[in-house]
Amino acid sequence: MMKIRLNTSTVLQGSLQDIPVPTRVRIPLQEKHKSVVKKKQIVGCGQVIAEISSKSAYNLGFVHSSINGMVEDILPDAIIVGPIPAPKEGEEAPVPARTEPCAELDTLAGEELCRKLLELGVTTSGMHATRTVIVNGLNPEPGMIASEHLLESASETLKAGIQLLERALKPGSIKLVIANGRQFTVHGCTTITASDVYPATIDPLVIYAATGAERPDNVDILSVVDLYHIGRVAETKLPFTQSVVSVKDKVFCVPVGTAVEDLLTAAAVSIGPDKIVTLGGPMRGASIFDMAIGIDKSCSAITMVDVGQFPPVQPNPCINCGECVLACPARIHPGMLSRYAEFEMFDEARSHHVEACLECGMCTFVCPANRPVLQYLLLAKAALIAQDEEVAACRLQDL
Amino acid sequence: MASQEITSKNLFSVSAAPVWHCGRTVRSTMLHSLLALLPAAIMAVYRYGYDAIAVIAWAGLAAVVTEFLMEKWMERESTADDFTALFDGVVFAFLLPSTAPIWLVVIGSSLTIVLGRMVFGGFGGSPICAPAVGWAIMTVSWPEFMDLNAMLLNWDLVEPLSDLKYFGVEAITDISYTSLLFGQNLGALGASQVLLIAVGGIYLLATRQLRWFIPISFLAGVYLTGLIYNIIDPTLYASPLFHLLSGGTMLAAFFLMPYPSSSPTWKLPMLLFGFLGGALLIIIRTYGIYPDGTCFAVLLINLCTPLIDLIQPKPFGGR
Repeated sequence: MMKIRLNTSTVLQGSLQDIPVPTRVRIPLQEKHKSVVKKKQIVGCGQVIAEISSKSAYNLGFVHSSINGMVEDILPDAIIVGPIPAPKEGEEAPVPARTEPCAELDTLAGEELCRKLLELGVTTSGMHATRTVIVNGLNPEPGMIASEHLLESASETLKAGIQLLERALKPGSIKLVIANGRQFTVHGCTTITASDVYPATIDPLVIYAATGAERPDNVDILSVVDLYHIGRVAETKLPFTQSVVSVKDKVFCVPVGTAVEDLLTAAAVSIGPDKIVTLGGPMRGASIFDMAIGIDKSCSAITMVDVGQFPPVQPNPCINCGECVLACPARIHPGMLSRYAEFEMFDEARSHHVEACLECGMCTFVCPANRPVLQYLLLAKAALIAQDEEVAACRLQDL
Repeated sequence: MASQEITSKNLFSVSAAPVWHCGRTVRSTMLHSLLALLPAAIMAVYRYGYDAIAVIAWAGLAAVVTEFLMEKWMERESTADDFTALFDGVVFAFLLPSTAPIWLVVIGSSLTIVLGRMVFGGFGGSPICAPAVGWAIMTVSWPEFMDLNAMLLNWDLVEPLSDLKYFGVEAITDISYTSLLFGQNLGALGASQVLLIAVGGIYLLATRQLRWFIPISFLAGVYLTGLIYNIIDPTLYASPLFHLLSGGTMLAAFFLMPYPSSSPTWKLPMLLFGFLGGALLIIIRTYGIYPDGTCFAVLLINLCTPLIDLIQPKPFGGR
């Protein structure tokens, strides 16, 4: 079997590629989004189709249609936009609305600008004014190459994004973290080099590399892909309705909600049920069972793995070898915690710092017993959150 | 709708993140470990002949069969195919005299599995090193059959550690380090093939099946403690190098001490565990009633593992 390398930095080939505009997209929604369109409504590219009811400037971005078309269905987790049906005899063909550029983007600043960005589809929930901003310029996982690709090919857009961020957040400083030995710069950022070996590329560890502090509370982090989204909004003054997705060694710019199979067809990758396909990288990506699922804005890679290429994960007993402890960047004991979770001893898991877990998946990656260690940890975390909410609800009733 | 047709046609398999795996399994680790034991086993056969084959084979067989029967009785799926039982049986055989009677080998190997593993729930659950448990029970129960000198009277050689125990340092002055290294003295079947055991251990370290923390700190513990005694009185206590190369020291360093479930998991505890285990080995050899205290040292330090493993770093971002 080939030796797995966890280095993420790669030499780049080719340029950002477009794919033929799909006729049908399935645009993913978050739970907080509220649909503002009706079935059969004709929507134009860039038109708002779901928004956030809260008036705060820091929240999830609005969702826009990524193609001209007709709303076919509104599901709790997605809106399906399909082709406009042919007009009946004697009727005029419906014309989708054109979205006008937002002229005031240049004049706004501070919180008002953040609110405007949110309306233009930029998620601002992780941003805070006057903090240090770190741009994670490392490819987050092996096989995800979009970040370095954008640093190399889209520095003007990234510069525009930085300028917009400076006006919106007035950050103390902006730092760009790139892989050791690489030569990327973005105008307006201080460049810092760091290890490109997973899991050193995940956000909390990049923050540590840039600031020397573990979980500092005055730092915001965003990825190069996020910055590229902001940069495109700044350049066009229109909502940016595309995702930058890497498939194998190519990087594509696709309309949000494009079905995975459409992208894979365009990328000339053949898939079948003998493959496991995940949205995201090989370490943290969620695998999907249905290739019609739409690509989310935040998804920056599609990873494929042959079924049977790796030993299957099974609920085997832990053998106490301690490999996970040596691999864990959070310095907790994933093996022990996974057993607490397995036997529903969630309070024990809390007292052994399960909440420090960074969810990088290294424990499952190295486990010789092939246990789903990370899943047990996630189970414990979710159970503890649910438990806390229950306790809080009880307290409120008592008052 | 087109998308629905596709959905019903081919559903893809899913897997929990991460979808990658380093490829290491219990089975592959055990196969590597057995491979690492192979050179020493061949050397043992070369030196002791057919007896060595019989002991290794019976020990391995008894271990696998015992595990199978126990798992049947416990209504569990058999885990014979991950080779952990075979590994335990072979390591146990390595601790025996090559002329050990078959009934002793079978009983010892079965007890290794039953009392060393299955009573704790199987491989990975035992807080003590299983082959060392088997050896300790046999040594306490049938000391005459486990006595290396008495069992190996056919050979016109000496057992260095017994000589040291009963006749003092002068008795071992003519035993050269090279002869110890190549196993040219009497000793346990596999444990006395010091060089080849070390080669196997280094193979495991090189293929990263084994971490260096415990073996190296154990050897350092043996050497430094031996050195201290040697400096106190060289006419009473043997040199540290002698201790490193005699008895079961090497086997303990690479195969008994790092036994997965009975050793600590954090880095500093692993170093402490190894070092203290090494020190204990010298202390038992110096003051104990048995010539070689390797397995007792391993078992005793195993009992300290939960305590040593309490030395933990702060979690990431912990204050």
